[in-house]
Amino acid sequence: MRRLKENVDWGLVLVTVLIALLGIVNLRSASLVADSTAYITQIVWVILGGVFAILVAAIDYRHYERYSHIIYGICVLMLVLVLIIGREVKGSSRWLGFWELGVQPSELTKIAMILVTARFFAGARRPEGYSLKDLAPAIGTLMVPAVLILLEPDLGSTLVVVFIFASLLFFERLQRRTWLVLSAATLVSIPLMWYFGLHDYQKERILSFLDPDRYKLGSGWHARQSVIAVGSGQFTGKGYLHSTQTWGRFLPETRTDFVLATYAEEHGFLGILVLLALYFFLIAWALRIASTARDRFGALVAVGVAALIFWQVLFNVGMVVGMLPVVGITLPLMSYGGSSVLTVLIGIGLLLSVSAHRHVY
Amino acid sequence: MKAPIVGRKAPLAGLRSQPAPAGCPRFFERMIHLLSGTEVSEYRARFRWITILFSISFLFLLGRFWWLQVLRGEHYLEQSRDNFVREYSLPADRGLIKDAQGRVVAANRPAYSVSITPYFAQDTQQTLDRLAAHLELDPPAIAKLRESIDQAKGLKRFQQLLVQRDITREQLALLETHKLELPGVHIQAAAHRFYPFNQTAAHLIGHMNEISAEELSERTGLGYRAGNYIGRKGIERQYEGLLRGQEGRERVVVNAKGIQRGQAKTRDLLGEAGRTEPVPGKDIILTVDMKLERIIEQALERFESGAVVAADPRSGRILAMVSKPSFNPNQWTGRLPREVKEQIDSNPFKPMIDKTIWSYFPGSTYKVVTALAALNEGLVTPKDEINCPGYYLFGKRLFRCWDRGGHGKVNLHQALAQSCDVYFYRMGELLGMEKLARYAQELGFGSKTGLIGNESPGLVPSKAWHERHSREGFQHGFTLSTAVGQGDTRTTPLQLTLAYGAIANGGFLYYPQLVQRIESANGETLIDYPPRIRHRLPFKPEHLHLVMDALTAVVEEEKGTAYRSRIPGIPIAGKTGTAQVRGLRRRATEGEITDKVQWQDHAWFTGISPPTNPIITVTVFLENGGSGGKNAAPVAINIIDRYYREVLGVIPGDRTAVLEDDREDDSDQAN
Repeated sequence: MRRLKENVDWGLVLVTVLIALLGIVNLRSASLVADSTAYITQIVWVILGGVFAILVAAIDYRHYERYSHIIYGICVLMLVLVLIIGREVKGSSRWLGFWELGVQPSELTKIAMILVTARFFAGARRPEGYSLKDLAPAIGTLMVPAVLILLEPDLGSTLVVVFIFASLLFFERLQRRTWLVLSAATLVSIPLMWYFGLHDYQKERILSFLDPDRYKLGSGWHARQSVIAVGSGQFTGKGYLHSTQTWGRFLPETRTDFVLATYAEEHGFLGILVLLALYFFLIAWALRIASTARDRFGALVAVGVAALIFWQVLFNVGMVVGMLPVVGITLPLMSYGGSSVLTVLIGIGLLLSVSAHRHVY
Repeated sequence: MKAPIVGRKAPLAGLRSQPAPAGCPRFFERMIHLLSGTEVSEYRARFRWITILFSISFLFLLGRFWWLQVLRGEHYLEQSRDNFVREYSLPADRGLIKDAQGRVVAANRPAYSVSITPYFAQDTQQTLDRLAAHLELDPPAIAKLRESIDQAKGLKRFQQLLVQRDITREQLALLETHKLELPGVHIQAAAHRFYPFNQTAAHLIGHMNEISAEELSERTGLGYRAGNYIGRKGIERQYEGLLRGQEGRERVVVNAKGIQRGQAKTRDLLGEAGRTEPVPGKDIILTVDMKLERIIEQALERFESGAVVAADPRSGRILAMVSKPSFNPNQWTGRLPREVKEQIDSNPFKPMIDKTIWSYFPGSTYKVVTALAALNEGLVTPKDEINCPGYYLFGKRLFRCWDRGGHGKVNLHQALAQSCDVYFYRMGELLGMEKLARYAQELGFGSKTGLIGNESPGLVPSKAWHERHSREGFQHGFTLSTAVGQGDTRTTPLQLTLAYGAIANGGFLYYPQLVQRIESANGETLIDYPPRIRHRLPFKPEHLHLVMDALTAVVEEEKGTAYRSRIPGIPIAGKTGTAQVRGLRRRATEGEITDKVQWQDHAWFTGISPPTNPIITVTVFLENGGSGGKNAAPVAINIIDRYYREVLGVIPGDRTAVLEDDREDDSDQAN
């Protein structure tokens, strides 16, 4: 705690707070028609998340290295539980209910994956490169939650977890054979996923992305309306609380997955420039923390958090602007949802911890 | 704004691995510090790659936003407008059709129609099934609806498709009750055309039904849309352009569920110009009197098939037009029950044909043409007599008079009054085919009057026509048949009425007129149609008087062909006609016509009343109705009698009689 006080990374805090504020302000507009008090709930979550972040940041991140397996174990347990007793919302059981609150274990699993993977790579150094055999335990720890999340089904979170792992893997030296086998395995798994892993509605979303005209009104409708919202914002936007696409209910999921569409419509290209710059700064800052980390674990944790934010931003924005299929990934700190906010803020807490403890040798 | 720009530059600068220039931001320094070596320096190359990847990704996203928002912004703004703006058409009230006395003969009554919006219909099959059950739709109608729902793509899915118009009150109640089970189904109030007089004057008023795809493409730019109704037959068709009016449009702001937003929002987004008011159609005031139509209908009660035209010889204005059998335009406007359609299609007397403008053999009513032609050509004087032995020998052929016993010596007056065929055979022979044809044309035969719709021009055969159409070419014998209205001559009841009117009024052939004026919806007269003379007859007044005297004798003299049908006191002139349909009998044996009734002659009578300063001309045509004198003349005389009494309110023939409403003018004219 003392060390944190002395070494608070104010830049990171400032960027995070700015994005969270933009998120709350935007949410007020985005949820105006569907659920006008969502932004207040979001404020509560952000404050709660901030407290979590401070708690997480106060503890030397090396403790997380030690307990990462336990955290991971808890997450896997929750993922199993969610399949058995999870609350079903819109055909997926993603929530575990605790009293009035619902928690999405798949979100928290992202943090657990960062910790457990960072610990693996930090602990098992192979300067000559990892063989497949070396990687097997790490891939195992990835596959268990990935499959469990896919079963919910939550394709978006599965992808994020896999991409976080891949990003960390990218930081490590692999044997050429490992590269080849992993690439081949990925290629093979794509058709397998298609036929056995994906539900029809998921396939349709992807098909509608590849052939928009054919699915203009079915699953392509939402993607199309989102693009219209973004485009119609033009350079300066329609103005705050003036998103016709939102109050006309043409936009789907305005509070969560498509929250950026409302933002882009109301604030135009200028607003987008500001928001993307903030995200860019946040990720760059995380990478900077990684690069200045005291040890490999710290560096990998910071890279993992950077990857978490980067991939979520990339997938979500890609989806909103109609360049990626609609897979259901939230925009960090902009989308409504406790689990998503908590996860990102815990990630920020980890970054603060890594940053604060970098001078301890 | 400053920090992010720095943040974006930094990794790129780091890539270059240059020493930090003086005054460089701290972040920049750190990046270079990283790349120059820390404990995790083995990650150095990775940071470089990941920074490149991540910067490119962000630039790429930014580029996409630039494309969507700046380069294509206008386009998407328009699309977002299309999303929330719906255009509804505001139907214009169709103009009314009124008779001469202001009685409404074609009105608009409130009705409800059902439509469905594919986008909101959720489970289309289930909704359709329920709808079909409530509305008792037949399978082809369901299939058709299904098809158009499936074909609706894109924004079309937000457009309403008409399911059924003019539903019954029971169906309305049923749909209202089950509203919640029928997503996407709407009930709209929409005026429906209504004809209070049902079958009376149906042919001349016409009816309406849905516009066909072909007509729609012919009328592009005139504001027609699929599902619109368009006038069929009669005035409804002829005056479609005036009756129709102009649809208004209302632009409203809606959400994705099609729910209309408040007025404030509408003004906010669209400004004030959200609504164009519909322009109602014009009202058509007919020359026809529905009371006379009813009288004629009753007069025709005993007959299966026929037509009556009553006109004012002083103006060519049509007072009534009746074609029998008739149809009910209310059934034809909207859903025509199949039984009714089958019944009408199988009726040998073809109810859908307007017989007042259809052409038939005129029989002896045509003899006035021959008489006037002969007089005008100076081939005969009123005193000249011809002996009728009951036949006329022409070459080797024997032409019979209808009176086999013969009329003895007859002059023109007697020949017309008694309808002596032999006299007119002789006249025909003297005149020749070409002159006969020319005078017929002078009287308006052989060409359309231009009154309405599918009018037949009739037929005035000439030599050339016979050369083309007769198997053996032109024969001189044809002239004789033509002279007595047999042969191939065909006239419409309307043409006869107008020609007789011209003879009676001193030689003015008028254009027939059904519409006296056009009024705007608030009763202002827009167009007033004066009577129009089509042609001045070339006959001398004394010749016309001569013929009129003979026509009076038809009714008034004991030997006149209509003498036994006269009603004493009703001043009337006229001419009977009995057109032989015997020729058809041959065809009948070939199986075309089997009903015995249809072998009977056509009965004609054209009456003019009063013979001097006439006010009404009536032609009665009874298809296969028997004899002109025995069957048609009583009908015509009865109609004229009732016209005086019930329409004009005078006692015919009584010079001094004036009923309550002091109609001296009329009673004077009645004499």
